[in-house]
Order: sequence, then structure tokens, then C-alpha cells
Amino acid sequence: MAAIQAEQQRSFIAGESLEDLNPAALSLKKFDWREFPWWFVALIIIAIGTLMVILTSPSFTKAFNTIIGGLRVTISATLTAFAIAVVLGLVTGLGRISNKVVSKNVATLYVELVRGVPMLVLIFFVALVMVPALVTGSNKLGLALFEAGVLAESNFLSNLSIRDIPMFSRAVIALSVTYGAFLAEVFRAGIQSISKGQMEAARSQGMSYGQAMRYIILPQAIRNVLPALGNDFISMLKDSSLVSILAVGDISQVARLYAAHSFRFGESYISLAILYLTMTLSLSLIIKIIERRMAKNER
Amino acid sequence: MSDNIIELRHISKNFGEIGALRDVSLTVKRGSVVVIIGPSGSGKSTLLRCINQLETPTAGEVWIDGEKLDGSDEQLNKIRADIGMVFQHFNLYPHLSVLENITLAQKIVRKRDKKEARAIAMDMLEKVGIAEKADSYPNQLSGGQQQRVAIARALAMQPKIMLFDEPTSALDPEMIKEVLDVMLLLAEEGSTMVIVTHEMGFARAAADEVIFMDFGEMIERTTPELLFSNPSHERTKLFLSQILQK
Repeated sequence: MAAIQAEQQRSFIAGESLEDLNPAALSLKKFDWREFPWWFVALIIIAIGTLMVILTSPSFTKAFNTIIGGLRVTISATLTAFAIAVVLGLVTGLGRISNKVVSKNVATLYVELVRGVPMLVLIFFVALVMVPALVTGSNKLGLALFEAGVLAESNFLSNLSIRDIPMFSRAVIALSVTYGAFLAEVFRAGIQSISKGQMEAARSQGMSYGQAMRYIILPQAIRNVLPALGNDFISMLKDSSLVSILAVGDISQVARLYAAHSFRFGESYISLAILYLTMTLSLSLIIKIIERRMAKNER
Repeated sequence: MSDNIIELRHISKNFGEIGALRDVSLTVKRGSVVVIIGPSGSGKSTLLRCINQLETPTAGEVWIDGEKLDGSDEQLNKIRADIGMVFQHFNLYPHLSVLENITLAQKIVRKRDKKEARAIAMDMLEKVGIAEKADSYPNQLSGGQQQRVAIARALAMQPKIMLFDEPTSALDPEMIKEVLDVMLLLAEEGSTMVIVTHEMGFARAAADEVIFMDFGEMIERTTPELLFSNPSHERTKLFLSQILQK
């Protein structure tokens, strides 16, 4: 009886746990202390401990409440950038497997360029080099169109100033461009995981390549890559801390500022870590649940 | 309108250095049933796939219903809609129900409305004997049932030609008959069919003509009676003796 109870409890906790679970161990009827997710117990203890510290220590509460003010920026930057990156990644992924020479090469160039540069460097490049260059280009275009008599002297192209593009938008562009390249590879792998017979069956019925992609290949491919997309979303949430170097007021930036002027480094960075952990752990829990549900409904 | 609905003229197909087909010519008359046999790697499937251009021949011409295929996508899609194909591994769309498998191409290629596509799909499912499975998903069906759905999916396009690429090779023995029965029914109805198969009994019963292929060449082409009783080539004899021993 005790063994069964222990197993029930174990599998209950295992059901809540996030990673590194051996499915074979789940079917064991005997309690196996080696397979027990001790790390999860430790995590809960740490969580309860820090929660108590935050609630009881005024300096901690103050730090936490200040830093949480940057949450909106972090979340909206991540959500917007991820949405753009998904579109960019899908288009690029389709380009990578296209047999059209131009699309294939443009897509591959983009992926290879971006993947070979550290994200921090890319963020500086997009925000401080690429965006200003685009603005300068737009100004020149506006001037040229004015001289050609198409637009008035003061038009929206020539009036665009570098300062009109807020750092937040530049951060979002930087994140999107970086993750677009990662997601392109995810989508490409997803599409290539669908058996060749699916495309052949669709084409043999007279569907065009585009129709076969849209109705047959992509619905299956996207289903296959959903877990990978979820994990990349979590990565992006974490990497969004890098855009704090652009002073956009996300939680990392707020924590850095607060720590610098209050000298409460411990309180600031522990609060910051807790915020990220809460978001990433709950997201990966949600992904696990979705994955499990999908596995159950596997057709 | 030509009497020959399919005409392959001097088709060759190379995969890299390997010549899968060597100067093969074939005509198929409207309403006839042609069975292609031969050892594996002899180019039978490649020949079949050249008909609807799932393989593009390296050399030679393909004529379908009096029209020469010129490689344009537009013409290809139009012609493929008129050529049903049944694959060895069924290739049903696993994310769609049986009914949706059969209605999808009708709707987006034939531009039929939902009601019409559905009605035709149900007719075809009735014909292959699994109308009750309309709302199931492919992986809930047995291999034989999946292949019958695949046949219904091809038939629903109301094709002029049906191609079968080893339709029973991936099936468990007890399911082969249910698929062959459907194919026999189609043959009796006068469909134009080109079939690659190892089922000699079926070839004998249904074929108007049997083609024996080996090493990418068409060795022999004759009626099933003659081929099975009195093959004229050594290679055919050898192949038949190997296969009929089993």
C-alpha cells in the first residue's frame, strides 16, 4: 500500500515537473528515489523561502515593486517581436526549401549572416547602424522624389528623423531579425519532416505547390514544430533582457538602474531573476501540458 | 480525339549516372487496363510516375489525351487533376478526416462547392465500401481501409486515367483482397487503368495487356494469357518462374 501511495504521490509531482523525466520510470510500481524529481522539491522550497523574504523585508519589497514596473515593456517587446519573427521565419523557411534560386539564396544568406553574429552585437547593429541608415536612405529618397516633382519639399520621407524611431521599436526589430533566422530553421525542419508522399499526393491531385503547402504540408509541419516554437518563445523572453542596453525600460534595465542608485544589488537582481523564472517556468509548464495533450490526441 | 489516352514516346530517365528508364515507348488505349510487372528496380514505378510527371523524363515526350506535356505548371496541374494516383503507402492526409481527404482537392482544384464535393465523396466511399468511416481519421483505419479511401480520393476527381503504384505491397495479406476487389470493380466499369503490381492473379483476371520490364527497358508487352502461359523472352520466363514459385 505504502509503495502505491508513494508512486501516486511521485507521479503526481512528476506530472507537475518540467524536465528530465524518464517515461520508463513512470511505469515503475516501486518508489525509486533516484528518479524522484528532487530538484522540483528544492525549487518549491526556494520559491516559498524567497516569497517570505520579499513579503517580510521592506527593502526587498521595494526593489521588487520597482522592477515589476518594467514587466509591461518586457512582455510587449517579446510578444511583438515573436509575432514578427514567426512571420519572418515562416517566409524565410519556405524560401530555404524553395527551388527558386533567388529566394533560396536570399533566405540562406539571411539565416547564415544572422546566426553567425552574437545577439548583443546584432542588437547594437540594428538599433544604431541599420535603423539610422534606413532613415538616411528614406531622407535621400524623399529629396530625390521632391526634385523629381513627385512629392512636396517637406514630405513624410524627408521629414523622418532618426529620433522618430523609438529605441523600443529598434529593440523589437533587432529581436525579430535575430529570431526570424532561428525560427526559419525550425520551420524548415518542420516542413522537411513531412514525408515526401504528402506533397506527391497533393500534386498528383492537381494542387499547385502553394496549395499543397498551404492545405497539406504546413498544417502538419506547424503542428510538429509547436513545442519548438514554445521553447524559442521562452528563449526570446530571456534574451529580451539584452535589449536593456538600449535603455528601453524593461525589467532588466529597471533592475540595473535601481541597483545602481540604491546599492541594493542583492535585492534587485534576486527580484529580477525571480521575475524571469516565474515567467519561464510557468511557460514551460504550459508547453509541457500542451505537448502532453497533443501526444494524447495524436492522430 | 485520339484513341490513345496515354502516349509515351521514347522516354528515358536518369537518376544521376543510373539509367532508370531507357527509351521506353508505351501507348494506352482509352478504357484499357495495363498491368506493369517486373523485378524491383526495373523502372516500373518510374515509368508510371512519368505519366503524371511526378518524375520528369530526361528525354522523350508524354502525351495525355492528345495533348503534349510542355512542362508548364498550369498545364501540369490541369492534367494531373484528370489523372488519379494511388500510392503504395496510401499517402492520405493524416490531419484531415476521411471525408475531408476526399473533398479537399475537389473544392480547391475542381472548384466544387462543399455540398457537391461531399455528395461525390460519399458516393465514392459507398463504392469502395467504407461510407461508415467518413468521419474517422486515417490512422484509425486499417491499411486496407486506408488504401480504399485513397482510391475513393482519386476517383472523386472523376479522372480519365487511374494510376496504381504497387497499391497492395504495403498491406497485410488479409487486406490485399479488399483492395483488389475494388480495383476489379473499376476495371469492369471500363476505367482506364495503369497498374504496377506484383499480384499476378489480379493481372491475369483484370488486365487487357501486361508489360514486363527489366533494367529500365520494356522487355515484353502482350496479353496476360500469352505472357503467363508462353512468355517469349528468357528474362520474362526467369522472373515468372521466380514469382510463381512462391
